[in-house]
Amino acid sequence: MIWHYLIRRLFLLSFVFFALTCFAFSLGHLFPGDPLVNFSGISQPDDELLPVLVQQYRLDDGYLQQYIAFLQRILQGDWGLSLASQQPVLFELTQVFPATLELVAYALLISFVLGVPLGLLAAIKASHWSGRVISTIALLGYSLPIFWWALLMIMLFSIGLGWFPTSGRISVLYEIPSVTGFMLPDILLSGQTYWQAAFQDAIRHLWLPAFVLATYPTTVMIRFTRDAMLNVWQQSYIKTARAKGLSRSQVLYRHGLRNAMLPVMRQLGLQFSTLVTLAMISELIFSWPGIGLWLLDSISQRNYPAIQGGLLVISSLVILVNILMDVLHTLFNPLARKQANG
Amino acid sequence: MAKFQWLYHKTEHGPLSQLWASFRQQHSAVIGLMLFGFFALIALFGPVLTPYDPYLQNPDALLLPPSWDDMGDVRYLLGTDDLGRDQLSRLIKGASYTFGIALITALGAMFLGLLLGVLAGMSKGFRASAFNHVLDLALTIPSLLLAIIIVAILGPGLINTIWAIMLALLPHFVHGVRNTILQQLEQEYVIAYRLDGANNWQILRYVIFPNTWEQLTVLFSMALSTAILDIAALGFLGLGAQAPAAEWGLMVADALDLIYLSPWSIALPGLLIFIAVLSVNLVSDGLRTAVRKRQES
Amino acid sequence: MLLLDIRNLTLELETSQGLIRAVDRVSLSLREGEIRGLVGESGSGKSLIAKAIVGVLNQRWRIKADRFHWCGVDLLQLPYDQQRKIIGRDIAMIYQEPSKCLDPTALIAEQLHESIPNQLLKGGWWNRTREKRKKAIALLHKVGIKEHQSVLESYPYQLSEGVCQKVMIAMAIAKNPKLLIADEPTTALEASTQAQLFRLISSLNQLKGMSVLLISNELDSIARYTHRLSVLYCGQLVESGETAKLLAQPFHPYTNALIKSVPEFQPELVPKSQLYALPGSIPTLQHLPVGCRLGPRCPNARKECVHTPALERKQHHFYSCHFPLQYKESE
Repeated sequence: MIWHYLIRRLFLLSFVFFALTCFAFSLGHLFPGDPLVNFSGISQPDDELLPVLVQQYRLDDGYLQQYIAFLQRILQGDWGLSLASQQPVLFELTQVFPATLELVAYALLISFVLGVPLGLLAAIKASHWSGRVISTIALLGYSLPIFWWALLMIMLFSIGLGWFPTSGRISVLYEIPSVTGFMLPDILLSGQTYWQAAFQDAIRHLWLPAFVLATYPTTVMIRFTRDAMLNVWQQSYIKTARAKGLSRSQVLYRHGLRNAMLPVMRQLGLQFSTLVTLAMISELIFSWPGIGLWLLDSISQRNYPAIQGGLLVISSLVILVNILMDVLHTLFNPLARKQANG
Repeated sequence: MAKFQWLYHKTEHGPLSQLWASFRQQHSAVIGLMLFGFFALIALFGPVLTPYDPYLQNPDALLLPPSWDDMGDVRYLLGTDDLGRDQLSRLIKGASYTFGIALITALGAMFLGLLLGVLAGMSKGFRASAFNHVLDLALTIPSLLLAIIIVAILGPGLINTIWAIMLALLPHFVHGVRNTILQQLEQEYVIAYRLDGANNWQILRYVIFPNTWEQLTVLFSMALSTAILDIAALGFLGLGAQAPAAEWGLMVADALDLIYLSPWSIALPGLLIFIAVLSVNLVSDGLRTAVRKRQES
Repeated sequence: MLLLDIRNLTLELETSQGLIRAVDRVSLSLREGEIRGLVGESGSGKSLIAKAIVGVLNQRWRIKADRFHWCGVDLLQLPYDQQRKIIGRDIAMIYQEPSKCLDPTALIAEQLHESIPNQLLKGGWWNRTREKRKKAIALLHKVGIKEHQSVLESYPYQLSEGVCQKVMIAMAIAKNPKLLIADEPTTALEASTQAQLFRLISSLNQLKGMSVLLISNELDSIARYTHRLSVLYCGQLVESGETAKLLAQPFHPYTNALIKSVPEFQPELVPKSQLYALPGSIPTLQHLPVGCRLGPRCPNARKECVHTPALERKQHHFYSCHFPLQYKESE
């Protein structure tokens, strides 16, 4: 029965990937300009190359053949060349993607570590002033436009107090070879003599962007955890447990937490996609060399192959993570399993 | 019964007045509503209220700080930008862009979403479930990302932004409306109406709509706050309203180069975005609590 | 000795429209080893009284009583923790929808183990889990569940309502309570399971001497299994006394109407005749009548009924009515 559900999800995932590739393919024709240029990224193919490319990309045949050719190219790793740099799009993507992932991962971590306990506290002390203060702060943070918040933080901490740098992942003084693409593990792996100083420097660069990016999801987690906990607290089984003679904290830990954490975990996973979007704006302001900045630059430069590739990657990632969260949630939640089967 | 009537304590309240009474009790929600009204008024009457023309450049008064600063001028209450345009006038005009257009897109998305949501909720069969799957997928992509994608295709510009954000908000409305309708359809009074011989349209009009407007209002308020943030974000990214429009997000982006010289050019427009979104969120929270209280009692 | 001695209990709710008196001066007493029934339509406040006894009403409720004694101890005077300790030790409660009362993310075994107090176990702390398991299996057998293994290893959603309710009873008797409060325990169950459950409760009462407060809105099922009965209407105590005497000779018009509405109690009922029912319906909490709350619907109502009747007594048979039925007949 569980396999049934997993297979259905797998089908959905494959269907989604096909749909996304269809969409990415259609972009090549929807974007203004010559479709050949849009697909290949070669801005001025010379006369010898032109018929070869037309043949390769099946541009003379119908849309279906073109799409199949496109799909084959995608699966083989040929994502065209970036119009701006004439480098393979896929290569550039692998350079910038880990930077975004790193930022998003740290922001998610912060939102979990800070958001969930604060949300629980806000629910337990809902009528107390401490609970209300937490809810108010969460509401304020939830309403902040991220670009303004980032700029305020820069004005205060970087320009005003000088505590943090304003851009980049690490000072240009340090040369860290890229092994995983993630800065902190790479520093640890590099084994260089000054790795501690480099580590500290990387943290100083990471701190402000991660904090700014984490603001929104933390407030969402606070609000959501609070609502989930308040909802669980009303349920009959909580009253039964209290009537059994268990103390308030015992009921909270044994029955309340487990039931409230289920939707909260799911929500945490869903925050990923929002974070990727918000990261784009953060990267722009902090000059963080991630996929968001890269995509935004491509959009303003009308770099169509890059836009195609970037959108494909981001959308696939977002949907993949969401379906994964869905599956994990169903696996761990007895109730959801029942709904999936019945 | 009649002779005992004068001994009864009459507490008759319809759902709308109950909702309002419950809403009114929350101070934060009322403050939010007042702020919301303030912004709506400015968005509407802004062009009439501006002391100067928002696009008028005065080369003699470049980058003046706000009037409370030593170098400021009381004629330009909140200072000027790098082209000599009055900040106050631009901020007031910006309300029509950021706030007004957000309202328009949210309303548009609501009506379209209502239509599609009704279709999705009332129809059954393969087409409906396929549609629902596509809908669930569209929901997983954040609205800002969708908007960026659409603008990437259509190109930047205010009209494209409006379409992009409307389309980006659409899945949330359709999902919400569809869920509410499905939930209503399970209720027993719908079965009772069907047994009476009502057809789909009558059930929709007399049974479902009266019970769903509350949900719809809550959805609208949430969509509105998202719309304001998205329009400002797109403006900031240069994908939305284009210069010399006085959209608040765009004003922040314009002032980026001047971050050392005139921090207020960044702080003020952003502050207004923040307060606008805050007011909508306060109202939204108040509505949700009021709806929940009414349904519990 | 009286286990539960409640006199003039009043429960008021704070609402936006003012203070609503949901339970108006109800008195209830319970002896050791007896099964007490509490009968009334929905909205009569019987669940509220049960919740007040167990102490799970939230802060919006105001509890007032002349006497609220449990085994001689005044519960209202005690601080909250001590109240909870005494109640947790001596009183157990089962509810209407048993599957909702069980934590959906915890196995039955876990929840059952939780209800077994440590003091009742033999052996030291190293044996605890094993002893709890043994006791859990014994409890399940006692409530009539033979396949204890499969039940212990399931989640609540995998079990039927009847089995869930038996598990709830098992959890309730785990601590050997002096009183079991059963709040409409069979409403969500099928008829055959209902009978099983009542027999179970009855046998527990006889074998272990456990008192039971049985709350229900069905007179026929409650009549068979209770020693004494209290009838509530709209938060007011209408009549109370030994079940057999009450049913044979009701004093209050409401009790009379209740008895007459159950076909099983009317042997001379002619087929296709109209069933007896009081006109009108239960008033809502916002529109409670002044004085005797049955007033607007009562066939005997007169001017005096605007004042709440006092509780009168006739040989262990209590009633509150200005114009009780027998009174009329003896005139």
